Amino acid sequence: MKKSLWNLKSILIHVAVEKPKAVLTSMLVITLGILALAAAPTLFPERFPEFPKLTVDTDPENMLPHDEESRVFHDHMKKELDLNEIVAVGVVNEKNPNGIYNKKSLTNIYKLVEYAKTLEGVKSVDIMAPSMLDNIEQGSLGEVKFDWLLPAPPKTEEEALSLRDKVKRLPFLKGTIFSEDDKAIAIFLPITEKHYSYEIYTQLRDEIQKLGGDDDFHIAGLPVAEDTFGVEMFKQMAISAPLAMLIIFSLMLLFFKKLSMIISPMIVAMVSVISTMGLLVISGNTVHIMSSMIPIFIMPIAVLDAVHILSDFFDSYQKTRDRKKTILHVMDALFAPMLYTSITTIAGFASLALTPNPPVQVFGTFVALGVAFAWIWTILFIPSYIMLLSDKSLANFGLKQSGKIHKVGLIDQFLGWTGHVTYKHPKFILSIVGIISLISFYGISKIVINDNPTRWFAKTHPIRIADKVMNKHLAGTYMGYLSLQPKPEEKVSDEYLDSLVKRAESIFTPEQLQSEAAQNLLKTLKTQIITVGKNSNNRDDLLMKMGDYLEEQIDNASSNEEELWDKVISAFDAYRTELQIFKKPEVLHYMEGLQNHLNQLKTVGKTSSLVEIVKTVHRELFGGKEEYYRIPDNANTVGQSLITYQSSHRPQDLWHFVTPNYQKTNIWVQLKSGNNQDMQEVVDETDRYAKLNPPPMDLEVKWFGLTYINLVWQQEMVTGMLEAFLGSFAIVLLMMVFLFRSFLWGILSMIPLSVTILFIYGTVGLVGKDYDMPVAVLSSLSLGLAVDYAIHFLARSREIYKHTQNWEKAIKEIFSEPARAIFRNVIVVGVGFTPLLLSPLVPYQTVGTLIAGILLSAGFVTLFILPALMTLMKKRLFK
Amino acid sequence: MKFLTMLLLLTLNWNALAISVDEIVQKTNHNSYYRGKDGRAEVKMVIKDSQGRERKRSFTILRLNTGKNKDGKQKFYVYFKRPSDVKKMAFLVWKQINQEDDRWMYFPSLDLVKRIAGADKRTSFVGSDFFYEDVSGRNIDADKHELLETSDNYFVIKNTPKDVVPVEFSYFKMWIHKTSFLPIKSEYYDKAGKLYRTYEVAKVDTIQDKPTVTKAIMKDLNKKTETELSYSKVEYDVGLSEDIFTERYLRNPPVKEMKF
Repeated sequence: MKKSLWNLKSILIHVAVEKPKAVLTSMLVITLGILALAAAPTLFPERFPEFPKLTVDTDPENMLPHDEESRVFHDHMKKELDLNEIVAVGVVNEKNPNGIYNKKSLTNIYKLVEYAKTLEGVKSVDIMAPSMLDNIEQGSLGEVKFDWLLPAPPKTEEEALSLRDKVKRLPFLKGTIFSEDDKAIAIFLPITEKHYSYEIYTQLRDEIQKLGGDDDFHIAGLPVAEDTFGVEMFKQMAISAPLAMLIIFSLMLLFFKKLSMIISPMIVAMVSVISTMGLLVISGNTVHIMSSMIPIFIMPIAVLDAVHILSDFFDSYQKTRDRKKTILHVMDALFAPMLYTSITTIAGFASLALTPNPPVQVFGTFVALGVAFAWIWTILFIPSYIMLLSDKSLANFGLKQSGKIHKVGLIDQFLGWTGHVTYKHPKFILSIVGIISLISFYGISKIVINDNPTRWFAKTHPIRIADKVMNKHLAGTYMGYLSLQPKPEEKVSDEYLDSLVKRAESIFTPEQLQSEAAQNLLKTLKTQIITVGKNSNNRDDLLMKMGDYLEEQIDNASSNEEELWDKVISAFDAYRTELQIFKKPEVLHYMEGLQNHLNQLKTVGKTSSLVEIVKTVHRELFGGKEEYYRIPDNANTVGQSLITYQSSHRPQDLWHFVTPNYQKTNIWVQLKSGNNQDMQEVVDETDRYAKLNPPPMDLEVKWFGLTYINLVWQQEMVTGMLEAFLGSFAIVLLMMVFLFRSFLWGILSMIPLSVTILFIYGTVGLVGKDYDMPVAVLSSLSLGLAVDYAIHFLARSREIYKHTQNWEKAIKEIFSEPARAIFRNVIVVGVGFTPLLLSPLVPYQTVGTLIAGILLSAGFVTLFILPALMTLMKKRLFK
Repeated sequence: MKFLTMLLLLTLNWNALAISVDEIVQKTNHNSYYRGKDGRAEVKMVIKDSQGRERKRSFTILRLNTGKNKDGKQKFYVYFKRPSDVKKMAFLVWKQINQEDDRWMYFPSLDLVKRIAGADKRTSFVGSDFFYEDVSGRNIDADKHELLETSDNYFVIKNTPKDVVPVEFSYFKMWIHKTSFLPIKSEYYDKAGKLYRTYEVAKVDTIQDKPTVTKAIMKDLNKKTETELSYSKVEYDVGLSEDIFTERYLRNPPVKEMKF
C-alpha cells in the first residue's frame, strides 16, 4: 500500500515537472470536452436531442424523492381533491375611510382578476376573488339566493360598500378572501404548475403598474417565494461566485505579490468548477437550489491546496533559486497531507449521498467530485505551471533572503507569538477552549430547527413585505391541508357481504316475493353480491360496481321486471349513501371540534371545511337566522344542504373539501407563517387533540400541502445530515489513524474540527439563528476544511520534529512556514466568501458567514489547540 | 348580365332565404321545450368529473305549458328518486318569460318548502354541468340571432346576448337540424373568445311522431367535467292538471301522474 502510494506520488510529480506542456494540454482538452458536452445540448437542444441539457429545478418539494411516502400522499390527495398551489395577491387600502370597499379599489380588483384569467398556468375556473365567487343570501321573498358577489365593477360607492355587508355573512370567505378589518381583499390564483409562479408574479406586477389608485398590491404564497428564489438564486450565482473569485484573487496578490503565479490557483478553481458542473449536466441531473451552491463550495477547497503549494514555494524558492528542486521539495512535503486532506474532504461530502434528500445527495456527490478534480489538477497543474513560467516572472518571487524573518511583519509576529504562547501556557489555552466549549454546548442546546422559504429573502424584498402585510390583514397565505379518512380496507369483509345478502331479502314486499321473477332476481342478486364482493377493494367500491351492474340489468329488463330492478337499485343506492361518513353529523361535529381547537392557535388564521359550507347553507334554508348556523341533525339534511350548495355558480368548490363519495375529507388550515416550527406546532396540537378526543370512527388524520411538505423534508434533512456527519466523522477518524499510524495522533487531528463544529453551532444556537438548510449543509464543509488544517499542521510538525528532535525548536519552525501557509489559507478563503454577505438572499448570507466563520475558527483552533495539546502530550506523542 | 348574376344568386340562396333566422330560432325553441300540451320523462343524470369519477342522480320531470300565448309560460315539477339522501326532494318551477322564474324546493328531511331565487338561471342544476336555463330553456329574446351558415343538414346560428353582465359567455353557436329543428350541438365561447362549453345530442328517438332528444351531453372544457342526461319513458300530452304544480304537491308527490 505504502509502496504503491509512493509510486503514485513519484509518477504524478514526475509527470508534472517533466511534462508540463502535456499536463496543460490534457487539462484543457478534458475541461473543454466536458464543457462542450454540457453546453452543446443546452444551447442547441434540437441538434442534440439525445443528450441531457441543463435543466433548472427550483422546486424545494424535490428535496424529497418522488416516491417518499408523505410526498406520494400529498400528490395523491391534491389530485383526489383537485387542489392546486396558490399565488395569493393581496390588495390593501389603508387610506380610504371605507377601506377596500370603494369603487376604484374594487374596479382594480375586478380588472386584475380579468387579466389573471388570461395568464398561462392560472386555473381560471377555481380563482377565488370577489368577481368569481358566489354569495348565498336571502332574496326578497325569503328565498335562498345564489348570485355573483361582484358580477361587474361597481358603478357607485354605495354598490361598492354593499359588498362589505354581504361578505360579513359568509364565514367561509371572511378572513380568507375578505379581511376582517375591511382593508384588504385577497385574490387566490390556483396555478396548474408551480414553475409558472415567477412568470405569473412578474406579469401581475407589470399589470398592477397600470391600475392606479391608492391601493397597495402584494403577491405572496409559497410557490411564488420558492420560484422567485430559484430565479434570483441564479442571478446571485452569477454575481457572487465571480466576486468571491475576485476577492480571493486580490488577497493572494496581496500575499504573493506575483500576478503570474497566483493565476494558477484560480485556473485550478475554474477548471474544477467547470468540469464538475459540466458533468452534473451531462449526467442528467438538474441544477437545484442545492446544486447551484456547488461552485461556491468547490472554489475555496480548490484554491486551498494550491495556496499551500504556492505558500511553501514562495517561502523557499529564494533559498535555492532552482525551481525544479524547490518544487520537488515542496511537493514531497505536501503530497501526503494534500492527498489526505482531499480524501477527507471527499469523504465528508460523499457522505451526503447517504442522506434521504436527492438534491443533497447530488450536491454531496458532485462537490466530492469537484474536490477530486481540484486535487488532481493541483498536483499536476500547479507544478507544471511553475515549470512553464519564464525565469523573469519568477525572478523576484518569494522572500528575498531567508535570514530576515524579523522584518516580515504582522503575520509573522502574530504567528511567532502564537507559537510562544502555546508552548509556555498550554493549560491556559486549553482552559479557555474548555470554557468556550461549555458555552458552545449550551448554545447547541438552544438550537431551533426551523426553515421558511419566505425568509430566504431579505426583509426589504417585496416578497417578504407581501408576506408580512397579507398575513397581518388576512387569515394566512400558508396552506396546510388536514385530511381525514377511514383506515383503508384491505378487502370487503365476509360479514359485510353476509349482511348485504340478508338485506337483499327484505328489498321486496311479500306480494312481490310471490312472483317467480322476484325469486329468480333475488337469486341472481345474491350470487352477484358475493362475486363482485370478492373482486372489490372496499365496501364503497363494491357498491359502486353493484350500481353499475344493476343499471345494466334494468336497461335490459322486461317491463314487469323493471320495477323490481328499480327497487334494488334504490336499496343499493341507500346502502352506498350509508357509507358516506362525511355526511354524518357526528363526524362533522368532530371536525368542528378539531377546527375550534386549531383556530385557537396563534399561528392558525383560520380553518375551513365541509362544516362551514353545511352550516351556512343550513342557516340560509332557515331564513338566514343565526341560530341555524349549525350542523344539521341528520345525514339526509346534510346531503340536501349540499345539493343546494351545488346549485350555485361554483359547485366544484365542494370537491376541494371532500371526495364525491364522501370517503375522504380535507380541512384547510391557513397559517400566518411559513415557519416549519409553526407547522410543527399545528401538527403536534392536532395529534394531541386526536389523542384526547378519539374520532367517532376509526379515522386517519394525516397532513399534506406545501407547508407540511417543507416540514417533512427539513426533518429528513436534519436527521440525514446528522447521520451523514457522524458517519463521515468516523471514517475520517479511521483515515487519520491510518495516516499517522497512531490512534493518539488520529484523535488529535479530529480535535480542531470537533471544537470548530461545537463553536460554530454553539454560536448559531446562541445568536438565535434558525438551523435551516444551509446551516445543516455546512456541517459537512466544516468537517472537510477543519480537518485539512489539522492534517497539514500535524504532518508537518511530525516531519519537523524528526529532524529537530526538540519540541521547543520544532514549534518555532512550525510557526514559520507551515503556520504561515495555514494562516494565508484562512484569510484568503475566509475573506473570499464575504461578498456573499451582500446578497439579498438570506441562505447566501448564511453560507458566506458560516464559511468565513468555519475557516477562521478552524484555522485558529488548529494553530492554538494543537500545539498546546502537543506541548502537554509531547512525551506520549514523540516516543 | 347583371340581371343574370342577380338571378343566379337568388336561386342559390333560395333555401336559406326560405326561412328567416327568427323562424328557425322559434321553431327550435318550440321543438326543444314546448312539444305537446305537457310532457313527462324519467331522467338519469351522470356527472363525470375530471378524474372520471361518476355521480348519478335520477329524477322524474313533469312539464305543463301554461302560457296563453304560444311558447310562453311553463310549469315544471322535478321529483328526485336517487341518491337516497335526496330522495323525495322536489323542485317546482314556474317559468316566466320576461321576469324572474318562481322556484320552490322541498327538503323532505326538514319537511321544509323553501323558495329558491330564480333570477340567475345560469347556476348549476343540482351540481351538474347543465344550468337551470339549459333544462327549462333560454329566453330567445335575450339574444340576437344570426344565421352563420346553412349546411346540408344544419342551420348554424350564432346567438349573442343583449345584456352581457348576467351571462358568462360572449356568444354561443347552435347547430340546428334542418328537418327536426332540434339543436344537435351548441358551442359556448367565453369573453376572451375561447370555446369552453359544449352541448351535444347523443341520441334522438321519435316519440309520438315527434323527434325527441333522449340523450345529451354537456361538457365544461375548463373544469374538464361532463354531464350526461338520458331521458326515458318520454310521453307527451299526458293530461297533467295544473294543480299538481303547486306547493301542496311538493310535500305530497303526485304519485299517480308519475306512474309510467
